[in-house]
Amino acid sequence: MSDSEDSDAPAALTATDASFGYPGVTILDAASVELQAGDLTALVGPNGSGKTTVLELFAGLRALDAGTVTRPPASDRAVAYLPQRPGFRSGFDAREALGFYADLVDADVDPDALLARVGLGEFADRRVEALSGGMVRLLGIAQALVGDPPVVALDEPTSGLDPDLADHIFDVAEDIVADDRVVLLTSHDLAAIEARADRVLLLSGGEFVLDGAPDSVLDATGAETLRQAFSVAVTGESRAAVGQPAPTGGDD
Amino acid sequence: MRQYDRVFVVVERELRTLVRSRMAVAVALAFFAVVVGLGGASMGSPGGYVSLTYDLLLPVELLVPVVAFAYVYRSVRGDDERGELDVIRTYDVSRLDYVLGVFVGRSLFLVVVVLVSLGVAGVVASLGAESTVTFFATHTAGDTPLVYARFVLFATAYALVAAAVALSVSAATRTKREALAASIAALVVLAVGLDLSLVTLVSMDVVNADGIAVFNGLSPASAFRGLVLEVAIRPALADSPSVATAAPAVSAIGLLGWLVAGLGSATLAVWPDTSQ
Repeated sequence: MSDSEDSDAPAALTATDASFGYPGVTILDAASVELQAGDLTALVGPNGSGKTTVLELFAGLRALDAGTVTRPPASDRAVAYLPQRPGFRSGFDAREALGFYADLVDADVDPDALLARVGLGEFADRRVEALSGGMVRLLGIAQALVGDPPVVALDEPTSGLDPDLADHIFDVAEDIVADDRVVLLTSHDLAAIEARADRVLLLSGGEFVLDGAPDSVLDATGAETLRQAFSVAVTGESRAAVGQPAPTGGDD
Repeated sequence: MRQYDRVFVVVERELRTLVRSRMAVAVALAFFAVVVGLGGASMGSPGGYVSLTYDLLLPVELLVPVVAFAYVYRSVRGDDERGELDVIRTYDVSRLDYVLGVFVGRSLFLVVVVLVSLGVAGVVASLGAESTVTFFATHTAGDTPLVYARFVLFATAYALVAAAVALSVSAATRTKREALAASIAALVVLAVGLDLSLVTLVSMDVVNADGIAVFNGLSPASAFRGLVLEVAIRPALADSPSVATAAPAVSAIGLLGWLVAGLGSATLAVWPDTSQ
């Protein structure tokens, strides 16, 4: 396999015949996909399907067993990554925590400007251990913007957050997509994805079994909501029809 | 940005982390209290710096690795558990950049703690001296600050080696609890395990008694002890022991080997190489 950052590559992230698995578990089975800049792409799938692993593969944190991942050219960073439960060293305030990452790139980065962009401007002096879980996610997203990476991978940025904060994080995600970036996020918040995402990838059994704009996915499955489409694609029946709650959590 | 610029960014972060850590400051104060307390006990001793060096040799041999592990064992593991290691990997930071930065940053704090503690202990011990020592050591006799200065130098090198081994433990383990358990095991092995192994090998006639001086250099603790006894103290003794306790060259190479092995294994273990 090979991961590459070809300087002639288009402003897109491309996986070609990508395969990866753990012993007894297939995460990707010769899967191919191209993620376009300017799209907010949501990667959904049942717990254990490997969404986090796919994000790590696309971010270059893991090596594929076979196939290639091609990332857009970048001067400082090709890919930014926000882990599912981001954390920062205690004893540092938000500005200092972000300043560490800002110092790792060639470009002059103003931590205060990035904090303001994600809505943390007034919390720059607050110690990271005193930030709420949602604020830490926002600080993580601000970190993801350091070095102006063309690809941003966010692992369940809204899990466990109240609806307003989750909406704010989707607002921020839409804002950074507008910079002509590839933004790929995982989430179980299917209602928000249906309303906000430009494209949905449903990962199941090592394949992207659904791929398209939310409306296209609904048309293809005959479902009325993305929640129903999810169940139809994953289990073959609509669990929403019997009032079962959508899956939550992020244990993969 | 040059490679060393990124290393310095990591160094600064590590230094700030320790300076702001109450645990790190508490450990530093405890080490300082023990070492300076022992120095105070030697105040006015007729043995002077030789006596002080003898008094501090065993405590430093045991405590310096403990302090080094306390400062280092959570470094990489903490970054990994918070997800920061994955984030750092998305920047143009190599495994060597990161490991060197963590090592230098944590070691700087450690070295300052060791130097200040031993320095103050030396000053305290000298306060009660009946006459000011103004001559340098020769191979014939004499108690001079040079004896103690060499001891401090070797203690600093020993601290760096312990920090490198602690860093490899932090990089090779997967959880903080695992890192703590592995650190305790490593401390036991470094402090007594390797020496006991050598004694066992000698008692089984696997190692000739004449070869002990050389084999002593293979354990960090005994290498440090051997350098102190042979290079710092022996030149100051009027009647040198007829049998060498260590081979200084082997001891120096042994310490260097542990340093390189610690940093090398930490670099390989800190995260997988995914560039293919």
